[in-house]
Amino acid sequence: MAGRIVVVTSGKGGVGKTTTVANLGTTLAKKKYNVVLIDTDIGLRNLDVVMGLENRIVYNLVDIIEGNCRKEQAMIRDRKLSNLCMIPAAQTREKNSITEEQMKALCVELSSEFDYVIIDCPAGIEQGFKNAIAGADTAVVVTTPEVSAIRDADRVIGLLEAALVKKINLIINRLNARMVKKGDMMSTEDIIALLSVPLLGVVPESEDVVVSTNRGVPLVHDRSSKAGAAFRSMAARLNGESIPLDGDSQGLFGRMKRFIWN
Amino acid sequence: MSSPALAPILIKADRAGFTLIPAPEAPFADVMEFMDHKLEESRDFFKNSQMVLDLTNRPMGSDEISALCDKLYQKATVRVVEIRLGEDLSFTVTGAQNKVRTAPEADRQSRDMIPVIVRNTCRSGVRVVSASDCVVLGDVNPGAEIIADGDVIIYGILRGVAHAGAAGDRSARIWALSFEPNQIRIADLVAVPPRGGKPVQRRFEIAEIRNSVIQVLSL
Repeated sequence: MAGRIVVVTSGKGGVGKTTTVANLGTTLAKKKYNVVLIDTDIGLRNLDVVMGLENRIVYNLVDIIEGNCRKEQAMIRDRKLSNLCMIPAAQTREKNSITEEQMKALCVELSSEFDYVIIDCPAGIEQGFKNAIAGADTAVVVTTPEVSAIRDADRVIGLLEAALVKKINLIINRLNARMVKKGDMMSTEDIIALLSVPLLGVVPESEDVVVSTNRGVPLVHDRSSKAGAAFRSMAARLNGESIPLDGDSQGLFGRMKRFIWN
Repeated sequence: MSSPALAPILIKADRAGFTLIPAPEAPFADVMEFMDHKLEESRDFFKNSQMVLDLTNRPMGSDEISALCDKLYQKATVRVVEIRLGEDLSFTVTGAQNKVRTAPEADRQSRDMIPVIVRNTCRSGVRVVSASDCVVLGDVNPGAEIIADGDVIIYGILRGVAHAGAAGDRSARIWALSFEPNQIRIADLVAVPPRGGKPVQRRFEIAEIRNSVIQVLSL
């Protein structure tokens, strides 16, 4: 059976696409699935840094497509998980050095060997975005609770629908529960009402994310982190497991309080 | 381009009028050049006719569609009355109007043409232009624009921009299940919602011009 091809996108930059790709991929690999991550942000690659694999890069995505190497040569195996691979983007090339057809062909080829092909999409909606979504059957749209990020997510969802990507899921990143309670931040409900796509999960704002990114170890390896737990349950939902959405960001106290209030 | 089989755009004639079908891979410049040639050749034949533009197999950008429509109108006063679209709607449900029309003419036209109906949520970046009324069965999100020469009717929440009576008809109205817009325009007037106003309960509302001011009224 062919694997799933998932693109992680957002429109706006800096909302956490690369972090999401690294964590979803790592979690799925921990569940014993064969996973390959593709960084399509040619010219501005950084998935390799988040995964801590920067110093192992020899070949990259453009080399595979131009036929300078076999695709196995460009795949970098993760340090901890042998069933997790990554194809880095070229740093010295430009987004238009590959085409949508080439990218689609590569994705289809990889999906016959892997259970999950997860694509890290560049910011923006130009050629790089079109390449990234070309082969995808599922899209994960990442947004933060900011008006500008939500506006861009809305635009991207429109483009995904136009490109006939049928399954579109939403991840809300960096939600600050205290600010939502004070009314200073848009709540999950408001965002879903506006974007009207199914929610995959909510990641609470956390300092752990910065630490893990800088160390080059995906957050889901850290069992004590709340944000890591959020990524773990999102990966499970992406995999089709049914895990209730509540309690991701609220903790026991919040749940108890809600129970009393109701 | 000498052989008719390789024409970049096919012109079919039937009882209802003409249908234009651009070839799937034809470059836009070729389409324009070919149409130029055709219209020059048989101007009287096409004069004042109505045409349907069939884009099911060859999507066009809004700028391309409006360039083609402008050409047809200027060369032989041909009006494009319908645009058939492929599946990727949001790239193609866009402008097709002759902006040079005068207000009274537009007024007469918008009344007797069938409305444009959009059956999904209009997300940011979508621009719907209608020469008649426009009905949206869904929300209009921030960043989307609905522009109609007639009325704009939205069965959902209006959060983006709506422009009714775009060709100058001041009697046009905007109807929506709830108004939370960035901006609304009717004919030549523009209104923005009051800043920091208390959020009101969602209810069916109508915007119209009264005493040369845009007013939003609930029933």
